[in-house]
Amino acid sequence: MIDLLHAELKRTWIQFIRYPTEVISGIVIIIAVFYGLFASAQYIAGPGFAFGDRLDAVVIGYALWSLIISVNNDIAINLQIEAETGTLEQVFLSPFGAPRVFLARAFASLALRLVILVVVVLLLMGLSGSRLAFPPILLLPLASLLLGGYGLAFLMGAAALVFKRVQQVLGIFQFLLLFLLAAPLEESTGLMQYLRFLLPMLPSTGLLRDLMARGLRLDWLTYGLALLNGMVYFALGLLVFRWAEATAKQRGSLSGY
Amino acid sequence: MALGSTHQHPATPLPLLPSSGKNFKISKDFICRWELNPFVQLAHRPTDGWAENSLSGSIMLDTRDLSKVYGRGKQRFEAVQQVSLTLRQGEVLAFLGPNGAGKTTTIKMIAGLVRPTQGQVTVAGEDPHRQPRALRHIGAVLEGNRNLYWRLTPEENLEYFGVLRQVPRKVAHRRGLELLARFGLEEKRQTPVQKLSRGMQQKVAIAVALIHNPKLLLLDEPTLGLDVEASEMVKALVRQIAQEGRAVLLTTHQLDVAEELSDRVAIIRRGRIIAEQSTEALLREFSSSTYHLEVEGDLSPQQIHTVTQLGATVQGRQITYAGPPETLYKLLGALSPVPLVSVQRDRADLTQVFLKLVNDQPDVSP
Repeated sequence: MIDLLHAELKRTWIQFIRYPTEVISGIVIIIAVFYGLFASAQYIAGPGFAFGDRLDAVVIGYALWSLIISVNNDIAINLQIEAETGTLEQVFLSPFGAPRVFLARAFASLALRLVILVVVVLLLMGLSGSRLAFPPILLLPLASLLLGGYGLAFLMGAAALVFKRVQQVLGIFQFLLLFLLAAPLEESTGLMQYLRFLLPMLPSTGLLRDLMARGLRLDWLTYGLALLNGMVYFALGLLVFRWAEATAKQRGSLSGY
Repeated sequence: MALGSTHQHPATPLPLLPSSGKNFKISKDFICRWELNPFVQLAHRPTDGWAENSLSGSIMLDTRDLSKVYGRGKQRFEAVQQVSLTLRQGEVLAFLGPNGAGKTTTIKMIAGLVRPTQGQVTVAGEDPHRQPRALRHIGAVLEGNRNLYWRLTPEENLEYFGVLRQVPRKVAHRRGLELLARFGLEEKRQTPVQKLSRGMQQKVAIAVALIHNPKLLLLDEPTLGLDVEASEMVKALVRQIAQEGRAVLLTTHQLDVAEELSDRVAIIRRGRIIAEQSTEALLREFSSSTYHLEVEGDLSPQQIHTVTQLGATVQGRQITYAGPPETLYKLLGALSPVPLVSVQRDRADLTQVFLKLVNDQPDVSP
């Protein structure tokens, strides 16, 4: 399994480095969109308005959104691309089994995406003047967030295996993600403050905002619930992916696109 | 059952030769190919005796009553019906059929990529649908697929797919280099696959399919879209691979390729196997027993008389004989000492056999 992980890291890195213009243009687009949003919000609010820690929260929300979008689309888009280019069936010929291969791929692409995220956050901070804190403990809610994110990625991957064309769904899903990641529901009162633990990733993003933007300490009970949330969505994603693989093999549509 | 045509196959096995298991058929086109590529001689398809010997090899692939049904109700379509195949170590089976006959579906069921509705697949004693470990025994080059990462070099592809097939990374790297050397791709090992010629890409795909040392190699249209030279290279590789003791299941629409490479042929039509036997036996069955002889000098009136008495007809230096093979020796004796130029038997080729079988078979309704 270590060899597989190493091989996936190497493959991901080689494909990234061999055609870096794609990734660089991706980063530029993310930054440009953020700057556009930021400048518009400032224009509407007027020059005297201070964003304060809300700005920091927005930066975190936006950076996470860009990370989770790429994580989320990762499996589905790659499945579709590989079906089109004709490598998908070779991947399914692996004795490791598809879920393990795609899990290793998820880790490999995550490593790359985290590097990209650091670049994006630093650029966003430079553009917006936001000053974010990076206490090492934030790795914990980040991990639970990614668990949930990859759970959704496997769900999307399952949809790609069964339904093939999922770009439309992925497009709409990005806006749902924006809500899940950027809406500060941890500040909400009433029923929503409990319901947010059932929605994917929401508890983890709240904790990240607490740690990075509000300077609060990690609330372990909330973190326990966030981790449970991440694990449940991750397990659900894997389970549905297995079902989708079996369904695609049943229909004989594994390589279709 | 003989065909009407008088196609003269260059690789006619002469009854003059004792049918020892080690005799190879020699033909004009074979000699030409040998001059182009010495590999051909080493691995040219041997005679029946060898095929019979190979029966002693252990069974690498066994499918029992494989069936695949798509859809329900009015949309129900039986793509494959009760296909049973056995393939032994070192054997090449050409799996032939018209488009849509069920070849690719069968191959994918064998590879564990399509789940059969009924029936069972066993590869080296393991079921790829129940035991993912069984996939270690299977290498596949699938038609219509690139089978490779085009942004990666051949070396990187081999290492990556080796690990994907559970070969330790260092071993995969070493074996990859060995395969590249063997396939004559050393110089291109660091060129991204997308910049290689189609023939080279196909060779890399076959190398990738061999990286984990599989016992069964599935080749779906391995020479499709290749030029003559690349096609010859791939054919030579397939022969070598079979000689190493791997079982090879090959589908192709190029029936000359199938005829050259295969020990056995299975023909599928509308999802059902309509013929399965050794290539030699199948060709023999569809060949007539007419011999064409050519001599270098003129025959004497006495020789013409004897030859005619034996049932042959003489036209100048051409003699045609249709009768029992034993009498052929008497006929040859009667021609002595006039030098012989050639002795050829009318022989069907696989294309004729295939068309005859596919077109003549009545529709089999389930």
